[in-house]
Amino acid sequence: MTQQERDLACLLRLQAGDQRALEELYDRYSPLLYPLALRIVQASTEAEDVVQETFIQIWRRTGTYDALRGTVAAWILTVARTRALDAYRARASRQRAATRAHTERPVEVASSPPAGEHGLLRERVRTALGTLPEREREVLETAYFEGLSQSEIAKRLNAPLGTVKSWTRQGLRRLREILPDEEWT
Amino acid sequence: MSGAHEEFIELCAGHALGSLDEADRKRLEEHLASGCAECEGALAEFSASTVLLAASAPPASPSPRLRERVLGAVHADRAREATARRREEHGVAGAAARRRGFPWGAVYGWAAAACLAVAVLVFARATWRLRDELAGGQQALAALEQRLLESERWAAVLSAPSARVASLAPTPEGNADLRARATLDPATRRAVVVFENFQAPSGRDYELWVIRGAAPASLGVIEADENGRAVVRVEDVGDPATIEAFAVSLEPSGGSPTPTAPTGPVVMVGALGG
Repeated sequence: MTQQERDLACLLRLQAGDQRALEELYDRYSPLLYPLALRIVQASTEAEDVVQETFIQIWRRTGTYDALRGTVAAWILTVARTRALDAYRARASRQRAATRAHTERPVEVASSPPAGEHGLLRERVRTALGTLPEREREVLETAYFEGLSQSEIAKRLNAPLGTVKSWTRQGLRRLREILPDEEWT
Repeated sequence: MSGAHEEFIELCAGHALGSLDEADRKRLEEHLASGCAECEGALAEFSASTVLLAASAPPASPSPRLRERVLGAVHADRAREATARRREEHGVAGAAARRRGFPWGAVYGWAAAACLAVAVLVFARATWRLRDELAGGQQALAALEQRLLESERWAAVLSAPSARVASLAPTPEGNADLRARATLDPATRRAVVVFENFQAPSGRDYELWVIRGAAPASLGVIEADENGRAVVRVEDVGDPATIEAFAVSLEPSGGSPTPTAPTGPVVMVGALGG
């Protein structure tokens, strides 16, 4: 079974009310979801809330998954990223509204860095990102982790919108070409 | 490829990354809704890259208690919804609500199951092993349908030029050997559903459902012969335009006590094709 077949089976089992399917998805995806959420919201308690909301969304909205548009992994990560960006923006606007500046909780570094398949994948991806042209990497990371739109990125980088669009396309394509066989994709 | 289309491919990259401006996003969604396979493929490719991007986040571990908390929260959410659904079904407002549409939860689950079945079938097409299995199953079903040709009236359903077919696929809850195919003639509203390897466990019965506008309605218990074969003929399956899918559940002996909701696990499901 490929990763995608296992994930599809899990979604179906989840629909049929099988609690173990949820446990399986949690064990497979939380090692990816939590670091992603933390990278975006920059606070551990909120990152944990994001992971929780993500799984509630996954079970409530299984029917919105469209296999033609990408893998289950991509869908789950998109749900998590969206939740995380929402949480981050909500906090930012609360802080703007507050008269006193809040002290942000520092990001806690894991006591034991996760090893295994995710650790190895992370290393490979970081190496691959390092080989991308600087501007392409910047566009991908700003868009994905900070949630800036293409026109916002164009403004920040002082580059034409069309150029930001083509950097996006080239960057994503190049990343895939460097790592074509990752099972997680 | 036209320059305009190249532009859509470029938008697919921004869409996968979740960074399109609203006007671009709407434009691309409209284009995708027109059924552009090339763009859907591009979207899938680009979204694979975003998985890699997600994996590049600095390593971190949540508190060990998070697992229990998340599983508990989903469990509670599911229980809340089940309670709300029961209340609506039994409440005074329930009857009116049912006329307008079925309870949200049930509708949702079934629509999702039908959607996923399509996804699973699409996926299976790309896999040789699964494809062979399907081909084997289809042959057995074709032989069974052949037996129906004795009866001209029902044979007409199978040979109708406008006939629509739903190939049911086993869910993970169902035995992988289960085979079933539903054929529907929209002109006469007659449907024929054939089954193979349907030996129900003792004290249980398989039940056939039609999912109409995303709500299930029973088509009766499946009575298979000693070889596990069965044919269900449905005289009037209802408005063909509203039929989403067919499904099979495993029920207590005699079938589900309610004709609008299965109680047992859904073991097969298949969306109605063109």
